[in-house]
Amino acid sequence: MSDERNKMTDTDPQMCTDETARADAPRPPAGQALSTISRATYLKEAILQNLFLLCACVAVAGVGLIFLFVGLKGWPIFAKVGLLEFLGGDKWYPTKGSFGILTLIINSLLAMVGALVLGGPLAVGTAVFLSEVASPRLRELVRPAVELLAGIPSVVYGFFGLVLLRPIIAQMFGGLGFGLFTVWLILAVMIVPTIATLTEDALRSVPDGIREASYAMGATKWQTISRVLLPAAKIGIIDAIILGMGRAIGETMAVVMVAGNARVIPEGIFKPFLTLTTVIVMDMPYASGDHRTALFGVAIVLFIISMLFVAAIRVISRFGKEMS
Amino acid sequence: MKAFRAAAFVAVSCAMALTLVGCGRSGSGSQTSLTVTGSTTLLPIAEVAAEDFMVANPEKRILVAGVGSSAGIESVSNGTSDIGTSSRDLKPEETKLGLIDSKVALDAIAVIVNLDNPVTSLTTSQVADIFAGTIKNWREVGGPDLEIGLVNRDEASGTREAFSKLVLKGGDFDPTAAVLPGTGQVRSVVAQAPIAIGYISLGFVDKSVKALIIDGVAPNPETVAAGTYPVSRVLHFFTKGEPAGLAKEYIDFVLSAKIQNAVVRDAGFLPIADGGK
Repeated sequence: MSDERNKMTDTDPQMCTDETARADAPRPPAGQALSTISRATYLKEAILQNLFLLCACVAVAGVGLIFLFVGLKGWPIFAKVGLLEFLGGDKWYPTKGSFGILTLIINSLLAMVGALVLGGPLAVGTAVFLSEVASPRLRELVRPAVELLAGIPSVVYGFFGLVLLRPIIAQMFGGLGFGLFTVWLILAVMIVPTIATLTEDALRSVPDGIREASYAMGATKWQTISRVLLPAAKIGIIDAIILGMGRAIGETMAVVMVAGNARVIPEGIFKPFLTLTTVIVMDMPYASGDHRTALFGVAIVLFIISMLFVAAIRVISRFGKEMS
Repeated sequence: MKAFRAAAFVAVSCAMALTLVGCGRSGSGSQTSLTVTGSTTLLPIAEVAAEDFMVANPEKRILVAGVGSSAGIESVSNGTSDIGTSSRDLKPEETKLGLIDSKVALDAIAVIVNLDNPVTSLTTSQVADIFAGTIKNWREVGGPDLEIGLVNRDEASGTREAFSKLVLKGGDFDPTAAVLPGTGQVRSVVAQAPIAIGYISLGFVDKSVKALIIDGVAPNPETVAAGTYPVSRVLHFFTKGEPAGLAKEYIDFVLSAKIQNAVVRDAGFLPIADGGK
């Protein structure tokens, strides 16, 4: 009897949805299909569905509350110094009443672009290897390694960069070893798992028929990958890269340890610099008044940048669906 | 977990009980409660000493607050607090307030370079020019033809504040300098990079770096206490009139070997006794 009930719920999920819509009804309305569901099963289903709804609501409320809080805390700075002055001013001397974050925006973009140039090809290459080249045994070895890369806490990357990488760079190129170059190397490795796993998914979702057709036409493996598979998975790869950009621009802990934190646009790639995220870490301990408000203003800018990334992914995905 | 909760409950209850007792006694004006306000630089010493003092004398209460040296001097002179702590000397207009100075520790900042750096001494104005960014090459101060790698502290640092006052005289730091959030980081970066220069409290200088001679004076407890080492200051406890009662007990406790050799050194300062000899 109980097997019979489970089968009913498994095979007809639509029915359950209809049920929750009338959750306040004391018992299921009469009907040939519904009469086989007991009241207990019906209640359990309803409770579970509402539980999942609650989970989704908490996530959405989290985003909403953070945005509201950061917005309310940071908004006064736009009113005080003006949006143009805040975004376009190149002097971040908050203790002297100068709140321009253009330098920080440029530095964040410089860090992100460099990390992408180094890490993007590395990640896409890894994904191609995992999806198209590697033998199953090798794949089982490499994939967990890449996934583990994503699991390493960013402070460990930063510590590694500060203690190991920085002195080597200082010795090879002069300077103190703090700067864009060191940050690029660290971020490039950090964004590999994000881009690689999503690119691999995109490549795997290309139907095998397409591969077979390509080989049937006499194409080599390299020709198949470069002319057929990568173009076919293009949209997924672009999405992956944008997510990687978000990871790179939002990374804080690893960057603050190797960036050197000078509030200027660096004169070279081996000179210290400060970004949108690291300024919050560096200034928060002692900021008060307008300075603190300005840091929330920086947080708003970061929030908007990541919203733009998410929006870009949505638009591109939709565009891709329309194309195919 | 249970034990932890019980411990937390006991701790909270004790704290509440202490607060109540403290309020009651200070209200009655008896000598079992002492208020110490002033310098944030001195906070680590004053606070740890107060905690240790209260462990030894459970019936006494010492409240410590970091509000800045000027506010500390102001509050002790108008009677709001019993001891005003200060990381600077009295200004001329403050000398007439009848405050008695008890020197409790020495704060000296060493300018440090890599062990491989041939430069061993600089003048105060050279150090100021280096940190302001006007001197950019070691050649200009008698070193090798290498760009200077400036290492600065973050703005929350008391050492940075003191260094800025003592050396730059309020001028601006070179904004292109690397900004590091800790004494240990400054020391290890300078220890590794031959071109680097930084500053840390004298108490934290070790064999991995070289402390420069400034204006011909080597930084050590004797020169600091004698007042000849230029990048240094004395940390004071001020009382209105000669310290008496609980204030005297507390100051004597701070000056005791136990606090001077452990707490004062841990906070990166030098014991006042080092210079007394």
